[in-house]
Formats: sequence, structure tokens, C-alpha cells
Amino acid sequence: MSLEKFLHSLGIRHLVCGSCNGCELEMNALAAPQYDISQEGWGVVASPRHADVITVTGPMSEAMRHAAQMTIEAASEPLVVVAVGDCASGDGVWCEAGSAGPGAGRELEASIFVRGCPPSPDALREGLRAAATLLDGRKS
Amino acid sequence: MASKYSERPVKQGDLPNVVDELMSDALPLGCYATQRTVRTLFLSRSGVRGLRTALDGDEKWRSLAQRYPFFSYHEREMQALQEIVVQSSPDERPLYFSSDAIPEAIVAEGKGISGVVVGPVHAGIIEPGRFTISTGGESVVHIDAQLSYSHRALEPWFEGQEALALAPRVARICGNCSVARSWAYARAIEELAGVELDDCTEFARLVLAEMERVHVHLFDIGSIAAGAGYDRGTTAALGLRERICQVNNVASGHRLLFDSVVPGGVKAGIFADPGIVRTTLRELRDDVARFCDALLAKRSLLRRLEGAGVVERPLARRFAAVGPSGRASGIACDVRAIAPYGAYRGCAFSEELAGGGDVYARAEVRVREIERSFDLIERGLREVEGRKLSAPRQVDAAAGIITTVVEGARGAESISLELSKGGRIDRLHVISAAYRNWPLVTRAMEGNIVPDFPLVNKSFNLCYSCVDR
Ligand code: SF4
Repeated sequence: MSLEKFLHSLGIRHLVCGSCNGCELEMNALAAPQYDISQEGWGVVASPRHADVITVTGPMSEAMRHAAQMTIEAASEPLVVVAVGDCASGDGVWCEAGSAGPGAGRELEASIFVRGCPPSPDALREGLRAAATLLDGRKS
Repeated sequence: MASKYSERPVKQGDLPNVVDELMSDALPLGCYATQRTVRTLFLSRSGVRGLRTALDGDEKWRSLAQRYPFFSYHEREMQALQEIVVQSSPDERPLYFSSDAIPEAIVAEGKGISGVVVGPVHAGIIEPGRFTISTGGESVVHIDAQLSYSHRALEPWFEGQEALALAPRVARICGNCSVARSWAYARAIEELAGVELDDCTEFARLVLAEMERVHVHLFDIGSIAAGAGYDRGTTAALGLRERICQVNNVASGHRLLFDSVVPGGVKAGIFADPGIVRTTLRELRDDVARFCDALLAKRSLLRRLEGAGVVERPLARRFAAVGPSGRASGIACDVRAIAPYGAYRGCAFSEELAGGGDVYARAEVRVREIERSFDLIERGLREVEGRKLSAPRQVDAAAGIITTVVEGARGAESISLELSKGGRIDRLHVISAAYRNWPLVTRAMEGNIVPDFPLVNKSFNLCYSCVDR
């Protein structure tokens, strides 16, 4: 295995901002043996301080806005924010509904948007791979 | 048509006695308000019964939660969204809060007691909640759960919208109970409009609902294994669940079955090849059974599950527990058995009960329910296979007031719908099984050790999105 491979390892912190949990079900599927993202050196971490990637779902709920911002601020650079699902990307069913925001990924200035309601595990893996590639560029 | 909704007026002064009476032989669903009218709902064998209480001018609502604590969330919600003032409430904190406010927590006081706060962002892929844990050493003295982080004020926003057009959104109020909620919503519209469906369509709905139960139960069993630190079990459960999601996709075009049940029937084109679905599920069923048997025979795992997070029957009763968690404490609360709807009416379904009320019992009930689900799926698919599934019927939404209940994977999922002429929504209220069971999670933890919180919590594995809305 070439050493560059390690550049692609990702610590992922997940932020739920008014999601219906459908996106979370598919994010969790990534740990199933059919996908097993731990083989890529990707894993969900216990602190934003350990994160390279923050995945966000949902339109943004009012009560999460502050905690979400604090999570982003707590993470160290370089950091890539990935919007997961149509809600986070800005045109899901709950965007601007009731007191919901315009999309958590839009508010938190995501650089990658993974579409779908919810996105399939394959689409999520592609999104994370794009994040890893982006990070490699920033780290060098 | 079975399980009709009926309601009658009850003056506030008479309400406690009427509620007392109904508590003994009906399943309480909760209460909700539309402006100044409060409806208290029960599910009995003859259907959903509503008690309609109109409050005059500035009449306050006298809290029922002192006597029956499960009313607490409902009353806090009525106060927040319908501006009904609740008197002598055991919990007067506002249910919803704004962005930078840290919600007020209830903490235990006493010598040697300290506090731990976790959330709303967690070290996993889970929904947001904040838990304030008061401990005396390793033992939990009290847990206060502050939910509402996913509150998007959806219900006020639904008002005035066209009921039929809202179905895809109703399917996304919560990803774990999508089919169940879509079914309850479709039934509400159909029953108001007097629409009956053919048997084939009813069986297709039953199959979809049971497929949802299987994928959610498998996920929950995997989460229990994770809470106990048994990663092999989690991975295996996720692998089996993934195979179910792939079958869901083949059957309905959606891995989580969203939008598969629609007003007037089921999504067009669904179950194009029921034979393939049936054969794939047959294999999967054997693998699931082998996995569950092996899991529940694992001594080291059982020692973690047995005796953890016990909810005794009287407590479950007082909190009106529903779903597998209620049945694990010996409470008969399965809507499919109490007030059968759709194709369950012809299925002689009996519910799975256990008595221990611990994490083990909650796992075991789910394991047995998965088996029953596979029976029902096989039965249903045979009915669908021999016939042609029709496209959804045209429904002309009619005015009226109704509450319908469906058994979702986590328990009774109800939809209260008030439509005006032309099918516009005057009020749409959701009572989810998780809403009912959340207060029990915190009670189940009392006296348990802090490191068991993930285990006990996951043995309920309650949703947030349909609770917060
Ligand atoms: S994108 Fe779809 S699945 Fe994801 S949170 Fe929004 S409604 Fe749910």
C-alpha cells in the first residue's frame, strides 16, 4: 500500500440540524459490511476537535443553529463541510418550512453537496471521497 | 370499515373522571388542541374515541399530568403552540427554545451528587438531544432529557395547505416511521372521504409496513449490541438490514420505502415482481433468524442486557408505554391486535408480550416481532402475487375531523386531521410512539450506571424528528 493512501483518512463529525433521520439511517449504513468505510480509514469521531469532515443534515432548526456554529468553530483547519441530503443542500421538503432554515449545508457554507432524499450509501461514499480529495489538496 | 373515529363533548370538570374510566380498558394516545378546543384521545377495540373539551374565553387547562404523567409533553406543546395556559403543571418549562438559549435542566440535589451533560451534538450518527444526568458516583439518580432541537414548527405551517399534496412531506416527518405515518395519514383522508380499498392494495400496504418494521427492528437490535459494546453483533445486524433496504428498493423504488403508501392506495408500479421480493426475503429470513438466535444465546452479551434499564409494568402503565418497549413490560398495546385496520383485519394477529421490562425483554420482543413480520410479509405477498395491483384511486378529500392510528416499528403512530371543505388542512397533529415513550427512557435509567445510558437508551431507540416536529 502506498503511503499517500493515509492522506485520505477522515475523521467525521456528524451534525443533525432538523433532519428526519432518513439521512442518518443511510449514514449509518456506511458501517455495514457492504460498505464498511472503516476500511478506507474513515470513522465517526467523538469530538469536533478530531474531525476533518463535518457532515450536516436537515434544513437547520432554530434550536440547533448555535450548537452547529460552535461545532464548526471547534473543529481545526483544514476542515471540509459536507451537506448530506436535499434538506441540507437547500431544496429538501423542509427547507423554509415552519421555522426551518434554508438548508444546514448552505448556512454552514458546505463545499460538497450530496443530493438525495436520502442519498444512497454509494452517493455518500462518493461525497466523502470528494471531501478526502479536497483535504489532500489543502494539506499539501 | 373497521375502527371508526367517534368523539363526544366532555366538560373540563368531568374530564378527570372520564379519563380514569377509559384508562382501565383503552390505550391512551394523548391530547392536542386546535385553538381553544382540546381533544383527549384513546384507542379502544371499537376505534379511536375522542373527548372534546371546549375552553371558554380565558379558561385555563387544568393539567392532567399530575395524575397521568404522559400528558406532560402534550400540555407543554399546547401551551407553546396554541397559547393555552396550563394550570398546576408538574413541568412548567417551555417545550421549545431559541438558538442560543441553554434549556433549563432539572438536576438532583444532595451530598455527593454531581452532574454530567451530553449533547445536543453526539459522538455518533444520531439525532440531537441534550441529557443532563445527575449521578451519585456511578449510579444515575436522575436524567433530564431536553428534546426539541429538531423543532421546525411544522404543524402551524401545515395549516391551510392542501391535504393530498402534503403526503410526501408527511412521509418525511420521520424516516423511521415513514410508512406507518403515511398509512395513518392516507387512512385519515380516505375514511373522511368514505373511500374503501380493494384487498390487494390493503395487503400491499401491510407488506410495506412490515418491511419497515423489519428494517427498523434490525437497526434497533444492532444498536443494542452497540450499546453493549458487542460490535460484531452491530455489524451483522447492519449487514442484514442493508439487505432489507435493497429489497425495499427493488419492491418500491426507495430504500426506506418513502412515498410507497399514498392517499388512495400504494405508489403506482410498486411490487412489479412480487415473486422476486418473496424469494429474496425467504433467504434473508433464514439468515436473520440464525443471527438473532446466535445473538440472544451469547452469554457475555446477555449479562449486559439482563436486568439493565428495567421498566416495571405499573410504571409502563402509568406512562402509557407503547410499542415493543411497552410490550416488553407486559403492556398489551399493539394497534394491529387492539383495533386491526386494513389487511390486519383478516390476519388473526396476536401481539408479542414479555414481562421482564429490561433491555433483554425489549430485544427479545423485537426478535419475535421480526419473525411475525416475515410471516405477514409472506402471506401478504402471496395475496399480491396472484392479482394485479391497481394504481392509486382518485380521492376527493372531504371535510371532517378524525384520528387514525397505525402500529409503527416503535409503537402507535397517530394522525389527527381536521379538514375543511375542498380538503384544506385546518389542523394536522402527529402523536408519535417516541413522544409517548421518551419519559420512560429517563425513568428506566434510575439506579443504573452511567455507562449503561447508551445501552438503555438504544434499547428504546426513540426518534426525535417526529417528537420535535
Ligand atoms: S433529505 Fe430527505 S431523508 Fe434527508 S433529512 Fe431531508 S427529508 Fe429526511
